[in-house]
Amino acid sequence: MPPIIQVSHLTKYFKVSVHHRGFWGAFRNLISRQYRLARAVDGITFQVQPGELVGYLGPNGAGKSTTIKMLAGLLVPSGGEILVNGYLPWRERQAYVAKIGAVFGQRTTLWWDLPVIESLELLQYIYRIPGDRFRRNLDEFRQVLALDSFLDIPVRALSLGQRMRADLCAALLHDPLLLFLDEPTIGLDVVAKERIRQFILHINRARGVTVLLTTHDLSDVEKLCERVLIIDHGQLLYDGELTSLRDRFGGKRRLLVDFAQEYVDPQVEGAQITVREGSRVTYEFERNTITASGLISRLSELYRIRDLEVREPEIEETVRRIYEQKLLENH
Amino acid sequence: MGLYFRLISVQIRSQMQYRLQFVVDMLATMLISVASFFTIAFVMQRFGSVAGWSLGEIAFLYGMVETSFGVMDLLFSGFDPGNFGRQTRLGRFDQLLLRPASITLQVFGSEFTLRRLGRIFQGAAVFFFAISLVKPHWTLPHLLFLPFVFLSQVLFFGGLFIIGAALSFWTLEALEIVNIFTYGGTEMMAYPMHIYPSWLRNFFTYILPAIFLNYTPAIYLLNKPDPLHFPAYTPFLAPLAGFGVFFAALAFWNYGIRHYQSSGT
Repeated sequence: MPPIIQVSHLTKYFKVSVHHRGFWGAFRNLISRQYRLARAVDGITFQVQPGELVGYLGPNGAGKSTTIKMLAGLLVPSGGEILVNGYLPWRERQAYVAKIGAVFGQRTTLWWDLPVIESLELLQYIYRIPGDRFRRNLDEFRQVLALDSFLDIPVRALSLGQRMRADLCAALLHDPLLLFLDEPTIGLDVVAKERIRQFILHINRARGVTVLLTTHDLSDVEKLCERVLIIDHGQLLYDGELTSLRDRFGGKRRLLVDFAQEYVDPQVEGAQITVREGSRVTYEFERNTITASGLISRLSELYRIRDLEVREPEIEETVRRIYEQKLLENH
Repeated sequence: MGLYFRLISVQIRSQMQYRLQFVVDMLATMLISVASFFTIAFVMQRFGSVAGWSLGEIAFLYGMVETSFGVMDLLFSGFDPGNFGRQTRLGRFDQLLLRPASITLQVFGSEFTLRRLGRIFQGAAVFFFAISLVKPHWTLPHLLFLPFVFLSQVLFFGGLFIIGAALSFWTLEALEIVNIFTYGGTEMMAYPMHIYPSWLRNFFTYILPAIFLNYTPAIYLLNKPDPLHFPAYTPFLAPLAGFGVFFAALAFWNYGIRHYQSSGT
């Protein structure tokens, strides 16, 4: 099957006006505007196969939103190529957007003063969704997203979580092949986040909708995405499986041990003590130096152990390490 | 067109949810414009006429321009530059781009400010008051021409709104200048244009052809002498000026959308 998203050497430059400071600076700003080019996206290449659920990560200002906006046809690239679902998104806007869905974080596509259901019906008209298909989809989404309690309430009166659910429903009623989500869980509480994640998984698994999502919340990525793209300073730093990202850059694993008695200095080869609180000791060890079971058997030969726990490095920490230490640059 | 009426009906239903606010807003709009007409009327009472035009004739100019501006403000409220610029900064325009429908149609359908009816009623009242004072001797051609003048004015002001909305893709700072032309333009057009200094008149003749939309048609409709000595066909240039500004505005608007998509303001 050909890829549904093909992006090659994609770039986007913005003209940023240079502001002069101070009184004379303001005067200079008025008479002459100077610009410099800011590279928001700087030569990105990747492909997405139909049915994939891909996480697009990066710190603020890394170029995530700019990429998504270009993919959704809102922005015209400065260079490179985008082909999504066989379309040049910005050139064939109307035909293209009829087959995609998009939810941009805090913004709603719904009509503020209309009850949710009427907004959805208006979208049915705009997308020309046949009546039976509309009803079938709506019935399904009502269940999975638990919309029933607020379908008759105007959008302005919804909580953020309800509004996001309504927006997700609105983005999918026309059976898009592809869904772009920009920060779908931003500002939501744990329960609301979980429901949104369940829904994203559902439409990806049950309907085969390809999903590309940006997020700050790495637990979104852990729970949803098998594949991640990491972008920083407009360049793609990583493209691959989440698990191998952890293997390569995961940093140290930890072993939390509760000894049967207090030892003066319970050292063991292949691991360092990082925390000691009485009989409880935390060790750190490299995954390529020693396995967890190897370390445990060494420890149990030397000391009496009451209880223990192995902790994997969290993805959040992994990605932060990548940003901060620039582990992926020059690869 | 089906979509347009559906979108408008959403706007009307939304505003009907705030009925009291609607009534208060409409009355306020009406009061403000009534007050502005009374100012003119009192001044006229004092001096009898302005540069050869009587109170009824000035009221005719005023009533025409108020009514057509009010109708425009109702139909084109989606393009109201200040509001449109703000909405665009909030990402509202992106949401329109994501829907498989004409952008221009969606912007037309994005607002329908019913309280503008206050201005329309007031303008129409002044217009009929003017007719009752002047009692013009209208023949069939006069009566047939009148709706064209009206339509041309609506399109002219609408064009200015569209230009303002398009400008807001670049900057919000220029909007005050647009307001000078729209709101200032209506004030100016309520008087016979020969009272203005020639540089101002020339601007509103050759750069922005406002003079052809109210003043020269009124010369024909009220059978007034033309102190500026325009050619005899000049009153009939109104549709050309109205449609011309409107279509030029649409072209600029489309250019603005392309700029927006390449700069992502």
